[in-house]
Formats: sequence, structure tokens, C-alpha cells
Amino acid sequence: MNVDHPLMSSSPNRRARRAIALGALPFGARLLGALLLPALTLAPAALAAQHLLVPMDEVQTNHLKAYGVTFSALVDGVRSEWLINYRGGAFLLPDVPNLRRAAALAGVSFEAVGPDRVSQMRREIAEGNMDAVPLEKAPRIAVYTPPDSPPWDDAVTLALTYAGIKYEKIWDDDVLDTDLSQFDWIHLHHEDFTGQANKLFLGFRDAPWFIQARDRDLAMARSHGLADIPALKKAVADRLRAFVERGGFLFAMCGATETLELAVAAFNVDIAGPFADGTPMDPDADAKLKWDRSFAVQGARLEFAGGVNAMSDIDGHQVNVPARRQPLGTFTLFGFSAKFDPVASMLVQNHRTVIADYFGVTTSFMRKVLKPGVTVLAHEEGAPWVKYIHGSYGRGSWTYLGGHDPEDPQHNIGAPPTDLALHPNSPGYRLILNNVLFPAAKKKPLKT
Amino acid sequence: MARGIARRLLLSAVVATSAAAALPAWTGARGALQALQAQQVQRDDPLAALMSKVLEAESSGRNREAIDGWRKVLAAGAVVPGVLGLERMFSILAQEDSLLPVFDSIMPRFPREAQLRSAQLRTLVTLGRHDEAARAFGEWRDLQPTDVAPYRDYARVLLFHNRAAAADTVLRQATAALGNTRALVLEIAQMRAGLGQWALSAESWREAMAEEPYYESATVFSLQPAPATARDGIRTELRKTGAPIGAAQALAFLEIAWGSARLGWQGLAVLAPSDTVIFIWKQFADEAERAKAWPTLRDALVAIHKARPDAATALRAAEAALKADDAVTALALAREGAAPLDATRRLAEVLPTELEALARLGRAREAEQLVREAVPALGEEGVRRFSRTLAWAWIRAGDIAKARLALADAPLAVEDAVSGWLALFDGDLVAAKAALRTTEAPGQDVVTALSLLNRTTVARAPVVGSAFLALARGDSATAARRFEESAREVNDAASLVVTLAARIETARKAEDRALALWQRVATQYATAPEAPEAQLEWARGLKRRGDSAGAREHLEHLILTYPGSALVPQARRELDALRMGTAE
Repeated sequence: MNVDHPLMSSSPNRRARRAIALGALPFGARLLGALLLPALTLAPAALAAQHLLVPMDEVQTNHLKAYGVTFSALVDGVRSEWLINYRGGAFLLPDVPNLRRAAALAGVSFEAVGPDRVSQMRREIAEGNMDAVPLEKAPRIAVYTPPDSPPWDDAVTLALTYAGIKYEKIWDDDVLDTDLSQFDWIHLHHEDFTGQANKLFLGFRDAPWFIQARDRDLAMARSHGLADIPALKKAVADRLRAFVERGGFLFAMCGATETLELAVAAFNVDIAGPFADGTPMDPDADAKLKWDRSFAVQGARLEFAGGVNAMSDIDGHQVNVPARRQPLGTFTLFGFSAKFDPVASMLVQNHRTVIADYFGVTTSFMRKVLKPGVTVLAHEEGAPWVKYIHGSYGRGSWTYLGGHDPEDPQHNIGAPPTDLALHPNSPGYRLILNNVLFPAAKKKPLKT
Repeated sequence: MARGIARRLLLSAVVATSAAAALPAWTGARGALQALQAQQVQRDDPLAALMSKVLEAESSGRNREAIDGWRKVLAAGAVVPGVLGLERMFSILAQEDSLLPVFDSIMPRFPREAQLRSAQLRTLVTLGRHDEAARAFGEWRDLQPTDVAPYRDYARVLLFHNRAAAADTVLRQATAALGNTRALVLEIAQMRAGLGQWALSAESWREAMAEEPYYESATVFSLQPAPATARDGIRTELRKTGAPIGAAQALAFLEIAWGSARLGWQGLAVLAPSDTVIFIWKQFADEAERAKAWPTLRDALVAIHKARPDAATALRAAEAALKADDAVTALALAREGAAPLDATRRLAEVLPTELEALARLGRAREAEQLVREAVPALGEEGVRRFSRTLAWAWIRAGDIAKARLALADAPLAVEDAVSGWLALFDGDLVAAKAALRTTEAPGQDVVTALSLLNRTTVARAPVVGSAFLALARGDSATAARRFEESAREVNDAASLVVTLAARIETARKAEDRALALWQRVATQYATAPEAPEAQLEWARGLKRRGDSAGAREHLEHLILTYPGSALVPQARRELDALRMGTAE
């Protein structure tokens, strides 16, 4: 029996009894509490000795919500463990009624395991390429997204909402005016940090939503004393860069990856076309980019043609340029040493290693422009691009996942939102949720 | 092995449209035999005689004899038939590797022979010798650098083996080498489908059909597996302005396959009638009939009849309307179809449908009149077969006495459904159970009745009978009230009859009554099989009233208390929708 476990204290039971007595719990909880009360009263030690193993292999009925259940444990101050490379990246949670209830409500499979089984698992983990990473504290999450955007506009907000993980929305005002260090994790999705609205001007300049977004951003720029939208977005990008430098975790997908790199490298260079700021791009912009400021990329070349819907040669697929567009294939997750490379290992935990690719404004990252220190987490075999990358910057770290929506490979503007209830085992969405959870991991000294 | 052959044949259905060269190896001995005969090979030609004999052995399943024979054909100089024959035989025996020495010896002699090259590629890929296949392809391509055949045949073989990504590489090489992919549009379409690029695949199929309209079947075959989330993209591509008519046809057939036949018909209904369009409508109607999409079938047949009036179509449409539970349209169509027919054909072909429609509408007097008018032609005995229909007409009209009278001349076996219903209306549950349980293909009404009859041991329950009778008459308010009252009568199935009442009130949108009944089931009969449904409906009722917290409690209670219920996944969905503030 794991007598050192913090959940061995009787406080949850006392709290539960009190809440039931006061009628403070909702109807369902009261009923369950009433059913469980005798067990809690009579055999607290026996109950607390148990763990819940949440398998994350093919057995799991709802992988995405399993992250939510684990996250809810952290929010309640309940420590858990992430069993890296064990049964698809399983979670080991203390067996407390709230978690059982949360798992049952979410349809998450779990196995009650006793001390003997836990010891056996730990032996197995110690002997193989596996590790048990303690999860201690729920990270404070912010998603950079316009205030009025619905959850399905962004794969991350979709995943977080479906999994039941709470997050805050931040927008330009928050990034520029508040202390970002209050957050552990910031996510960016398809914002264009070069201020060119993903060159959607070419096809949507008369669309009401486009006009509304442009006017909103311009007003925001002026309210901060900035001349135009490119200047606003570059200022935001630099604040995000500083957030990582000071120890934050940044996760970006889709067009935010490529444009963040460009905006950070082009802090003092005009890389926006005349449709965005009224002036042409600096003709020597390529030479003036400061790649020592960026996270992942170096030596990329900008797209100077205003009529070509691409930002640079960073993206391998160039989905919006018909003549350059590359078809989708599949990408393969790399395996890492759980004990020596725990961060990369956490980021690739999955029940599948080969995943169907999906388009985004930026779908992939050309190998030739990646900095030498970048860790490639997933690639397409034989292709000159990679899909999923990670690295450190200052005291923090960043992760980029190409593409827009793992379950909507072609994603078009105006396409119906993805219903994650139809994809509870989505391996692509698991990658997003790995990123949400990994800042909760207690850092262990590396065995190098 | 049989599965492998079947897959080959299936693929041939897709690619054979332009793959005549590959057909002999895939169509089997009977096809080849017919082809040989069709070519009017002289019987006195020794080679033709030998081939005929070998084909006979092949079609009779004498595989070893056929292999020897094809070797002789090969030795006699008929290289292509010989190799293709051997390919067929070794494929059946799963001994494709036996072909490799054959290719080693003949390919240097016939390096440009496309059929041999194709067979070689098929064999190597089937055996998993991908490097050798790539080399063979490379040799062929280098010999004929401006010919599309090497790219096309290799891509097809790869697609057939589900190697869409490798096919993609080959097709990209073709684009680079040939300058365009016009000749490879089929392969590109298939490759994109294989890679899950459904909208792009649909775009390619649309282009293919612009050239060759008969690709619509291949399009349907290729795009049918698309997941629900990808279907809108396909629809957009196939509906694009200027798309050929085959695209609309393919989309309509796809919609039937995807279970949305109505959408399919909407796409076709807008086409201006012409001989071609009507031919397509007829094909669509046949497919809708196979899919039992009765309302859609009715609409298609009505449109065909309107464009080309015809009694047979009208009567077929009337039957479809009856199956779609649309008795009004059925009656109108039956009468329209009857107009050009003589009296004999009217009695034989129209009267049964007309009577059935009248019965469903409860127009018993008209039905009785029609039967009376038919007596001179059919005789008393001849019209007795309509007794059941008449009885139903009177039941629907609410006159049980006349229903019994209608059956009086044609006594039914006790097991007959009509007598079962009459017994039930009388409250004789034992007789009703005995008769209804043997009903063939029972509908929802019989299933509901049997679910009650199988739950209770009560022999007589007049209130239950009156509830079902009210339901048969279409008086749902009375039916709901009676079902609720009958809980006292059938104690052992009380939860079920209250649930029936609650379902009716929910369907009537009598929210307060429904909620009270669901609440009663959920609390008073918490261990009954109907309790999870009651919790779900209770939650829905609260949600409709804007009480999200209350709805949430009941959904959670359902999930936690009845974890084995089939309604749990639905409850989880609705719980998510509540949490996310989205409509469910």
C-alpha cells in the first residue's frame, strides 16, 4: 500500500460527508454520495489504497475526455501520474469518488488497480522505455483568439471545450497590456502575425466578416498608438516571444506558426504587402530578417508576390497556391526515450503512430529551414517537410503542429464545425491535448 | 484467395472503363472464352483450338491442366494470351511467384508490350516486391518516355493494392514528364480517394465525367466510403456550375448510399426533363426502391409520370406513396393511373391500392362502395380478399362493430393480425397476444402492442384496449389519457403504459403533461426498463424550459445510475451540448 500518497488523508471523505449532509451537492452527486457514504465511512483505508488506471491504448473509449478527467484531478489539487509509453500514455489517478464520477460521466474507461498491480506496473515501467511522470498542478491556460470567436473556430478550443478543460481567451489588448506570466500555457491558432490576414484579402475582401475583422484590428492598433495592423500584430508577436523567453509554454498550429516566426524575425522590417499597410514590402526584407530572434526557423524566404496566397517557403504544402499545392499523406510520430527525453516523449504519447495528415494555412515545415536544435516530433516519410516540432527558447519552450483541424483534412472557410463526439479517439487531437497536459508535469532531473 | 479475386473483379468495375488492355486477365475464363468466340477464331486453327481447350479446362476448374495449356499457348507464340492466362491461374492458386521466371524470359523479347508490362507490375506488387516493381516501371517508362501507359498502369496497380501515397508519387512523375495529367484523370481521382482527399477526388471525377459520362458508376464506387464529415466537400464539387449531368447522377446515387436519398433526389429533380434525364430518374427510382427510400421513390416516380404520363408509373408511385405512409397521394395516383385502363385491369391493378389508401384514410364508406361495385365482376368470393382491408378501414373510422361485420364473411385464423387488433381493442389481452405475436414483418404499432402484452399477465384490460383504439383512430389526446389510466389495470406493466402516454404527449408537444408523466415514470418506477428514457426525456423537457442545471442533473443521473443503458451515449452527447452551450 502506498501509505505516502497524499490522498490517504481522510479529508475528501470528510468533505463529501459534510457536503451530503448539507445538501450542497447536485442531485446526481447527492444520490451517488448517498450510495457511497457507507463505503466511505466504513472502509476509508481500503478505498484510498486503490488507484484508477486510465488506459490510453486502443482499449480507451474516449481518449480526449481522459485528458479532461486527469486535468480535473489537477484542478482539484489531486496529484496524478502520466505513465509515459505505458499503454499508450496511460494516467494513474487516485481512486476518489469525484474522479470515478467524472470518468463515468465522460465515458472514459478506467481500471481500479490495487497496490500489488501498481507495484507490478512500476517494475514494468522501470525496466522498459517508459517512465511515470508526476502531474502536480493544473496549468493556467490562455488561448489567443478574438473575443467573439466560437469554440469550433480553432482545433484547440474545440479540444479543450470537448475535454472539459477550462481556459481563458486573450486577445491583443491582453497580450499587450497584461502580465502574461500569469499563464503557464498560451495557444495560438490561425492568426497571421505579419498583419496580412493570411492574404485572405485576395479572395474575401468584400466579405462582411473580413471587413469587420480588419476594422476591429485597425481600431485596436490605433488604440495602442500603432499605425497599422502589421505593426500591431508584430508587437503582439514580440510579447509572445518574450513570454516564452521568460519561461512560458507556447503551442501554435496552422498559420500562427509560420507567421509568428516571420513576425518575430521581421520586427523592424516591412514584410507586409501594400494591401495591409499601404506600403510595399521592403525589397531587401529577406536579407534583413533576424533569425536569431525566432524560435524554429532560419533562412526562410518571403513570398513577395501579392497575388500568391503564401507567406514564405516555410510551409511544405502551400495549400492556397494551386500550382505549388502538395497532396496530403500521412505523418509518423517519432519514439523517444521516456527516461532521457521526457518532454518529447510526453508530446508524442498516442495510441497510433501513423496519422492521416490535414491541411491548414500552414500544413508543415520544410526541413531545410529548421534550426539545428529543433526536435522533430513527427514527419512524413520521404517528404522534405515535417509536421510537428518542438524546442526550447530562453527559459521556456514552444511546440508547433502544422495544419488546422486533425479531423477535417481539407478544412475550408465556412465548412461545418467538427463534432468531436464523433472522434473521441482522434489521435491528431491527442497531440494537442498532450501539449495542454505536459506543463503540469513535475520536472525531474534528466538522467544524463 | 477468393476474396482477392473478388477484389480484383471489383476494382475492374472501377477501372475497366478505360482499361480494356487489362481486362482479359481479370474477367475470368468464361469472359475470355466468349471473347475468343466473338473474335470468330477459326475452329481449324490449331492455336485457336488449343486456346479453346485450355479455356474450357480453366472454366471447369481444372487448374493444373489449364496451366499446362497456357504454357503451350505461350510456347506456340501467343505470348499475351498465354501470360494473361497463366496470371489468372497462378492468381487463383496464390502462386503468383511462378510467373516471375516467365517474365524474366519474355520481357527482354517484348519490352514495349503494354499488357505484359502491366501483368508484370501486377505480379510484382502483389508479391510485395516493391523495389523490383519500381525498377520494372522505370525500365518501361524509360523506353517510352512520352507514353502515359507506364504511369497509368503502375498507378492503377498501386491503387489497387491500397498504396495511394506511392501512386501519388508516380502520378506526380507523370505530371512532370508529360506536362499534364489529362490522360490520368481517372487514376488521380482514385488516388485522391485512396488518400482520403475526398473533395479533390470528386473534382477529378467531375472532370473525368465531363469527358466520358459513363464514369458515374466508378465515381459512386470511389466516393461512397467518404466519411460523413467529408461529404459536403464532395457535394460542392459535384454540384459545381457546368458539371456534367453524370456528376448530378453520381451524387444522387451517392446520397442514396449515404442514407440521404432525399438530398439525392433534390439534385436530380431540378433537371429539365429530357429522354436522358428521365432515364436517369428511372435508374434513381430503381436504386431508391432497393434502398427502401419510399418517400423519395414516390417523388421520383411522380416526376417521371408528370413528364411522361404512364399508368404503370402512376400505380408504382401510388404503391411507393402507401409505403411512405402517404395515403392521400397514393389515392390520387391510383385514380390517375386507373384512367387509361379498361375495367378488368382497373379491378386487378388499381382496386387493391385504392382500397388500401382509403382504409388508411379511414374512408370506410367509400371503400365499402368500391367493393360493392366490384362484386358483379369479381363475385362474392372474389371480393372476400378485401375483407381485411375493409375491416381496417372501419377500425380507422372508429367503428369496431362494422369492422367485425366486414370480417364476418371471411373468418380469419385466430393468429391473424386484424383479429389480434380487434381482440386488443376489446381488452382481451390473451387473444391479442396469441394473434399478434405471429405477425409477419411487424410494424412499430405491433411492436408497441407486443411489448405491453409480453410484459403483463393480466388477461383483460378494457382501458388498455380503448387506449389502443383511440390511437388507431388517430385520437392521440384520448389515447394518452387512457394509457395513463390503464396503469391501474396492468400493474405489472404500469411503467410501460405511463411511458406510452408520455411519448404521445411529447409528440403532441403537450409539454406540461409530458413532463409530469416522465417524472412519474422516473420516480415511481425507477427500476423499470423505461426509467432511463424517462430521465432523458425529463432532462429534455427541463432544457426546453430553460432549466439547464436541472437538465444536467437528470442526464448525469441517467449516466451514473443506468450505465448499461443504450441511452447513455446520447445522454453524454446532450450533456456535452449543455456544457458547450450548443444545440443538440
